[in-house]
Amino acid sequence: MDNFIDKLPGFVDTIKSIQETIITNIVLIGQVPAPTFKEKKRTSVFMERLAEFQVDECTTDGYRNPVGIIKGTSESKPPIFVVAHLDTVFSKDIDHYYSIQENSITGAGIMDNSVGVGVLVSLPEIFRKLGLRFESDIVLAGVIQSLGKGNLRGIRHLLKTWATPIRGAVCVEGAELGRLNYYADGMIRCEVDCNISPVDGWEHKFKPNAILVLNEVINQIMKLRLPQKPRSRVIIGKTSGGFKHGMIAYDATLGFEIQSNSDKMVKSIFNCIKDIVEGTSHEYEVDLKLKTLSNIHAARLKFNHPLVKSAVAVMKKLDITPVSGPSESELSIFLSRKIPAVTLGITRGDNYHQQNASVEIEPIFKGIAQAIGVIMAIDSGVCDEHQLD
Amino acid sequence: MNISWIEKNTFHYSEFSDLTRLVDEKQRKNLKISLCLPTLNEEKTIAKEILIMKSELMTRYPILDEIVVVDSGSTDNTRKIARGYGADVYEATEILPDLAKFKGKGENLWKALFVAQGDIIVYLDADIKNIHHRFAYGLLGPLILFDNIKYVKAFYDRPIAIGKSKIRPTGGGRVTELVIRPLFSLFFPELTQILQPLSGEYAGHREVFENIPFPIGYGVETSMILDIYEKWGLDVFAQVDLDRRIHRNQDTRALGRMSFAILQTFIKRKKKLGLVDYKEKLYNEMIQYNLIKNEFKPDIYKIEGHERPPIIEILEYREKFKRIN
Repeated sequence: MDNFIDKLPGFVDTIKSIQETIITNIVLIGQVPAPTFKEKKRTSVFMERLAEFQVDECTTDGYRNPVGIIKGTSESKPPIFVVAHLDTVFSKDIDHYYSIQENSITGAGIMDNSVGVGVLVSLPEIFRKLGLRFESDIVLAGVIQSLGKGNLRGIRHLLKTWATPIRGAVCVEGAELGRLNYYADGMIRCEVDCNISPVDGWEHKFKPNAILVLNEVINQIMKLRLPQKPRSRVIIGKTSGGFKHGMIAYDATLGFEIQSNSDKMVKSIFNCIKDIVEGTSHEYEVDLKLKTLSNIHAARLKFNHPLVKSAVAVMKKLDITPVSGPSESELSIFLSRKIPAVTLGITRGDNYHQQNASVEIEPIFKGIAQAIGVIMAIDSGVCDEHQLD
Repeated sequence: MNISWIEKNTFHYSEFSDLTRLVDEKQRKNLKISLCLPTLNEEKTIAKEILIMKSELMTRYPILDEIVVVDSGSTDNTRKIARGYGADVYEATEILPDLAKFKGKGENLWKALFVAQGDIIVYLDADIKNIHHRFAYGLLGPLILFDNIKYVKAFYDRPIAIGKSKIRPTGGGRVTELVIRPLFSLFFPELTQILQPLSGEYAGHREVFENIPFPIGYGVETSMILDIYEKWGLDVFAQVDLDRRIHRNQDTRALGRMSFAILQTFIKRKKKLGLVDYKEKLYNEMIQYNLIKNEFKPDIYKIEGHERPPIIEILEYREKFKRIN
């Protein structure tokens, strides 16, 4: 392994020598709007670009995830997956056109996940430029329906229907360089809808306000005593509701996630919140519905898993400081299927989920070298002997 | 009126998307191709244009031989950024510095002929938000593949960017429909087949561009069409559908000034061709009014209508490109 690790710093300049192509892929794909469930156009551009770079096979699976395959030299080695999610949090009427400055690219969705997707599509050309061949087939997958209500459907379907065992996987995210995710928390993502009939009924002397009802739900969630071990939290992430300033709100929605490294604890907190919602619904005599949007099981590689150790070694060789935390992304689906995987970030940036998100160009090349280093580690066999617990 | 031109000489960019074929044909004909970008404070869009063109049409498919930026004295980072991403960057005033100095898009296009090396020149505006390499290869396709075509004009479904982040699906082309199309219909009905005569993207052979005058300002697109039509006829023209182009929305007053310059150019051409005779001198001021403190105040905008002669008439050009009189 030391052999290829020593080569990594030298890769950076070679990768940079085709920066125009890498940035062009990031921009041409990223400028196509792809809100979750409406990724069709971006999928087409992704496929066109992959086909342009002459992968051995280029197709979509039964769920319309676009997939390119670079054939490996060995007939017997299972494939290595490299994935990036195609969907974004922005609707299609938002301006997706990017602006490039001396050392930055700015625009909606650039960090999450245009850089990841553009880099993924550039890999065949980068491998050619670096003269790299792999024993395993490299499967480049842009997965759809990943975010929010998408509930990682794309990657779930892709892995459910893939015929052969999988040797290992790298999930590519635009940001942040240094990110090394190798464990996923258990998670339930929920929405509570509060609807109040605008028609006056006998049950209310004073019409309740949907926003205030949800505020009560939030207050009660905040009162829950969550353990530090297993590490657990509830994130109140989204609210919406109401019509105008001077009118009582008849509709409101609250979005939140329960996260814990124990599935049991996630379930227990969910049950508490379910009771809160039912109780509030009863006491305020309003229609409160609790919906589960997504459910992910906790799974992890140990820090001493050879893939994690290799990833750390690769990053250190490139002077990247690894920072680890839980990730509720494609990674969790790989890990839950006992496939060793890590998530890596490609570059640094600002305004992560805002329309004026911006990434630095220069670190991208090191970020790509790092991802290639981890792919090479998997190809050298670091995942072959160690099954997940 | 010859109305078969629109059927024969109108293309869609996808007809030229086999870039290997374009490269082969370009090499077989031993052609050099230059992409020229006229700029004035385009730091937000210039890098993207250069990067995409360089990646797709220089590195991956060697169709372009150079990217030349001719700048009108930008006060932002346009020149620095363009240079940083590998374009050959010139300030218009540095090219043929002994000539009288003018400022305008037409001036940049004309001077680009002096610094660019290509047998074919592609001119693209530098403010295209949705730039894609089809803008260049779409225009080049007919010029590379068909020997009779000497000048190619773009047309689009043109959405206008509105506000900061919203896009509406149709619009644009107001000056075309309100000024140019009526004029062409009155005087040159054949030319109405050119769907968007004012589009800022076109390409042609050097032998065409070097033999026509270039107005300094807005009139350059109109004059180009009229002059090429007069010298070579409609059959050397082609037009290519480049799909969508997102451009900046201009207010009505700015469009009024644009229309003034276009009318000025048009009338000059008509006079030169002996098609009309005006008894009185035409004025060179566009007068618009503002209401200030309940008083109507004129806002006078001088549009001189300067033109550069065909560049082949410039000695330095003839020497540089070995053109013999």
